[in-house]
Amino acid sequence: MRLKWMLFVASLKMMFRQKEAILWSFIFPLFMIFLFSFVDFGGINKLPIGLVNASSDTTLVDALHKTGAFRLHVGSADQELVALMDGDRILVIEIPQDFHPHRNDSLILYANAGKPQEVQLAQLLLQRVLDELTFSAIPALPRTHIITRQVESRNLSYIDYLLPGLLSMSIMQSGVFGVAFGFVSLKKRGILRRLLVTPMNPNDFIVASVGSRLVLLSLQVVLMVGAGIVFFDLHFVGSLWEMLLLGLLGGVIFLSIGFALSGISKSEDQVAPLANVITLPMVLLSGVFFSRSALPRFAHLITDFFPLTYLVDGMRKIAIDGASMTQLGTEVIGLLVWGAVSIFLAVKAFRWE
Amino acid sequence: MSQAVLQVENLTKRYGEVVAVNGVSFEVMRGEIFGILGPNGAGKTTTLEMIETLRPIDAGRVVLDGIDVTAHPQRVKKIIGVQLQASSFFDKLRLTELLSLFGELYGRRVGPLQLLDEVELREKAQAFVNELSGGQKQRFSIAAALVNDPVILFLDEPTTGLDPQARRHLWGVIKRIRSEGKTIVLTTHYMEEAEELCDRVAIMDKGKIIANAPPQTLIQQLLLNGFRKERVERLANLEDVFLSLTGHSLREE
Repeated sequence: MRLKWMLFVASLKMMFRQKEAILWSFIFPLFMIFLFSFVDFGGINKLPIGLVNASSDTTLVDALHKTGAFRLHVGSADQELVALMDGDRILVIEIPQDFHPHRNDSLILYANAGKPQEVQLAQLLLQRVLDELTFSAIPALPRTHIITRQVESRNLSYIDYLLPGLLSMSIMQSGVFGVAFGFVSLKKRGILRRLLVTPMNPNDFIVASVGSRLVLLSLQVVLMVGAGIVFFDLHFVGSLWEMLLLGLLGGVIFLSIGFALSGISKSEDQVAPLANVITLPMVLLSGVFFSRSALPRFAHLITDFFPLTYLVDGMRKIAIDGASMTQLGTEVIGLLVWGAVSIFLAVKAFRWE
Repeated sequence: MSQAVLQVENLTKRYGEVVAVNGVSFEVMRGEIFGILGPNGAGKTTTLEMIETLRPIDAGRVVLDGIDVTAHPQRVKKIIGVQLQASSFFDKLRLTELLSLFGELYGRRVGPLQLLDEVELREKAQAFVNELSGGQKQRFSIAAALVNDPVILFLDEPTTGLDPQARRHLWGVIKRIRSEGKTIVLTTHYMEEAEELCDRVAIMDKGKIIANAPPQTLIQQLLLNGFRKERVERLANLEDVFLSLTGHSLREE
């Protein structure tokens, strides 16, 4: 027991004395969050509409503007129709010279045939704006009024979505790359052989290395959630303990993958491409940055079973929905199965020499 | 002669068709420095690694201080000190931390500074291994091999790659460790090193031992067979010139 503890302390020292590596494992995900906090995804959801206004009246334009649902581009007919054909507009509205909203006039719309759903939505909104203008011109007509009261609600931002994803990703990266590179280097430089001529039980060394890596991982979870709350206005409703627990479960998988890779590689040059081939598809397809619902059906089915998908989904449910481990059925089972598989692979593939 | 502390009988290692070590037998006496000489690829390192439990023994037997290596590798590990060829240590631990950790691997609490004194490295106690010069690294690796107060110390090419000053310095360290009663087995391909340090040498070639005797005996045998060097009148060589010009002091600090 004393030896295990001494080995654990020694590997903690060694890990944290690699200052650059440690710093990066914390700074990189935070830097990503920082970058993405500038991206205004709200703006992308506005419907781009072209307006060709031949009249001097701006009532309609103002009313459309007030809805906040459109990104309005005012231009000449030629300009706007070209933009429509380039796919940059949903609709182009041509307002005739003597247009008055409440006079039974006609508007001409050019609709983007390739985007029927958006066109439909834009048309509905336009119709509603026109009706509103018409009704308000006839005050005698009895109407139902809508009284809106503002309620403070939990509006999730993209950061709330992104942070659990990036956290899971950095757990994967530091696990796979840290262990794989670390052990290949120990092996290549003969350090493992030197340990093997001592009476040490080799498993003690593995246990100590895994232990120190899990300490690093826990720090990553705490620091990222903390930085999210302090700097990025994270709406964190879950339990940090639950996140730590899930992170450790995921960490064991990725550490095991790291051990397996270090077993089948002779040098750092061999590890790098293997580790990338394994982690990159998960970074891109496990829903770290964007929802997997955009993926084609078959890709969706395959990525359902990625270990990172289970971790990302689980982390998100804890952070955003406040779920507990016991409520995470699929995710926990998926991670447990992957844990068993990857430990088995690590034991089979890992070599001391 | 005193008793044998290491007995190697008919030791054999095969890699497919290649016989790397071919029926090697020798004994090492308590308290002596025993050298295994030979060109690269002669099987020196493989022989040592089989004795050190690092490689499985295909045939033959090794008994170390009465313990059979194949039967009890773990007991053997406890009583040997090993410096591997070009072995390295963890980068991010200080010398004292490394020695304490290695002591723990044997269940011992060692005095790191005394061990560093033994190899004249006390002033580097707080350094990291990658800050050491080649000679200092080799001396440190001897200190690490001494943490368990071993019965036998194995040194695999301890002076390869060192400059003449560092080599001579290391010879001094090795001699002092022997004078404290340790048995040492070393490999080398420097003949003057073997002549300087070893009580007895075994010369290996192509996996076999082709001579085994004290250096002076081997030289006498050669001379008796009628061998004469062309120029025996040489009173100094280039290394002597080099050392007299650059001095014997170490150049690593």
